[in-house]
Amino acid sequence: MSRNSENGWRSKELPYDQVIEKYPEIPPIVALKIDVSRRGIHYTQAALDRVDPDKHHVEPYNYMIGHGKNAAPIGLFLRDGSVICQGDTPDYSKAYRDPYTLDVVDGRLVLTDEEIGKVYEEVTFWDRPDFYDKKTSNGTPMCLVASARPQRITIAPQTKCHFWDTPGEGCKYCALFSAHRSKDDEGEIRDEKWFQDVEETTREALKEKGRYCSFHMTAGSTLSGAEIFDDEVDLYIKTLHAAEKAFKTEKFPVKLVASAFSKKQLQRMYDETAITTYTTDLEVLNPELFKWICPGKSRLVGYEEWKHRLYDAVEIFGRGNVDCGIVGGVETAQPNGFADEDEALAAVLAEAEEMGRHGVSFADCVWNALPGSMFVNQKTPSLEYYVKLALGLAEVRRKNGLKIYTDDYRRCGNHPNTDLARID
Amino acid sequence: MAEISRELADIINDKESLKVIATTDAQGNPHVVFKGTLHTEGQDLVFYDLLQSSQVNKNLVSSIWFGRKVAINILAKDKRSFLITAKPRRSVTAGRVFEEVYASLKDRNPDGDLNAIWYLEPEHIEEKTFAVRRAEEEAAFPILKHLDRLVKEERS
Ligand code: SF4
Repeated sequence: MSRNSENGWRSKELPYDQVIEKYPEIPPIVALKIDVSRRGIHYTQAALDRVDPDKHHVEPYNYMIGHGKNAAPIGLFLRDGSVICQGDTPDYSKAYRDPYTLDVVDGRLVLTDEEIGKVYEEVTFWDRPDFYDKKTSNGTPMCLVASARPQRITIAPQTKCHFWDTPGEGCKYCALFSAHRSKDDEGEIRDEKWFQDVEETTREALKEKGRYCSFHMTAGSTLSGAEIFDDEVDLYIKTLHAAEKAFKTEKFPVKLVASAFSKKQLQRMYDETAITTYTTDLEVLNPELFKWICPGKSRLVGYEEWKHRLYDAVEIFGRGNVDCGIVGGVETAQPNGFADEDEALAAVLAEAEEMGRHGVSFADCVWNALPGSMFVNQKTPSLEYYVKLALGLAEVRRKNGLKIYTDDYRRCGNHPNTDLARID
Repeated sequence: MAEISRELADIINDKESLKVIATTDAQGNPHVVFKGTLHTEGQDLVFYDLLQSSQVNKNLVSSIWFGRKVAINILAKDKRSFLITAKPRRSVTAGRVFEEVYASLKDRNPDGDLNAIWYLEPEHIEEKTFAVRRAEEEAAFPILKHLDRLVKEERS
């Protein structure tokens, strides 16, 4: 018996159909996307048979994790033009809830809930990026230099997060770059050849006209330098300078998700590179829980300082051009998180409101207890909680007159609260 | 679903026809805009939205989310007009088809951009040409007129 078939989770929380009835202000398609992100997707053989690797976007391995696996799709389109950034979950026996199913019904690729026996939405696979077949002049496969979503290209200049250097100090929900966690693993080499690969891959990707709206960069944190993160700043600047060679303008749409840089470091990034927006993730909007869940960030920067660095960033980039990522729902992780979902929501939204007043927008990732994370066995919150959180964060943004184009349904696609900004 | 006749499809696809689309936002505020790219693809009405921040795009997203309808009016060059109520069926925001349309628009406007391809499913189609509507009204409701239109001419 799997964990989810034994624990009776379905009888303990409102199902999707009742949630959309209870909250008519949430678009059903956005609620479905949240629920799929929360529970995952299992692809049936019939769905997998529909995948054509020459046509569809399949990843030969997970770029942001670093582990090898079978080439498989990493996301789906919904009929409103938004995306679900989730691939197949082949083994879900240990997950708290069983996933949605991607199946073929009446010749259509659809999301279903097998146990309920209901078809929810027709979906399509993403298309394969043209550059995935190419190699740089150094012989590097371009799909190892950059990854893509339907409208963004992603480059990770650093595949190691150094918060893990001190045992237990990485963020507890995080599975990113989990292939490079041991102390002596420095992550992948970034030598002059690699920067040349970045330039060539960027140039090649841009030949696919009409595809990319955003140049996305993120990486694990690099703590070294005269001031903490100085070396990370240097690495981003160097990577951007390599990519910039493919553009005719000094500034272009970059979505940088990085550590909490000091004002001096931010000013340098703004002055020396193409960036006009900036994202740094406080992850959990509560000082005590931040200390527990993100111990490295807490010890080396601290909650209040991280927050103030976001406010400093607003002074440089402007209101609405500074974005704070959160792992929505992780505030309910046990044993230290909120046991009551209403209390959790009230606390998170009060903090978001204060930050929103300072001009900071939010990008809410649906917390999923991922394999490779310390929280793999946690129970994530109810769908109702995630829906109220997305609606609440959208309201904070509207109330404070903020935009979130840098991290919206098109330039990212993984945040239900920013999907809601499509009609603002 | 209403069927688009061959004759109507030709009118919709005629570059000289005027095509307007009326939408509402979540609060019910109306919005109307001319959409020159509106055309038929099979039984779908399709048009290209060029600006992500456009009101028509926001209203269509809201309509596809919450199941609201939109109204379209087509005015042919011979002044025949047609009212179509439709439901947004699909928005294509990326992918091969999107890239093909993006490239074709670039031929016309090299500095242009594309936000979304909207696919609308017609639910009801009615001819609204004035002469046709007037004849219908006269036949169905002969009392709907000003009396002076019925005055007997005096002999001089
Ligand atoms: S800072 Fe935290 S969330 Fe980001 S990569 Fe490191 S451990 Fe993961």
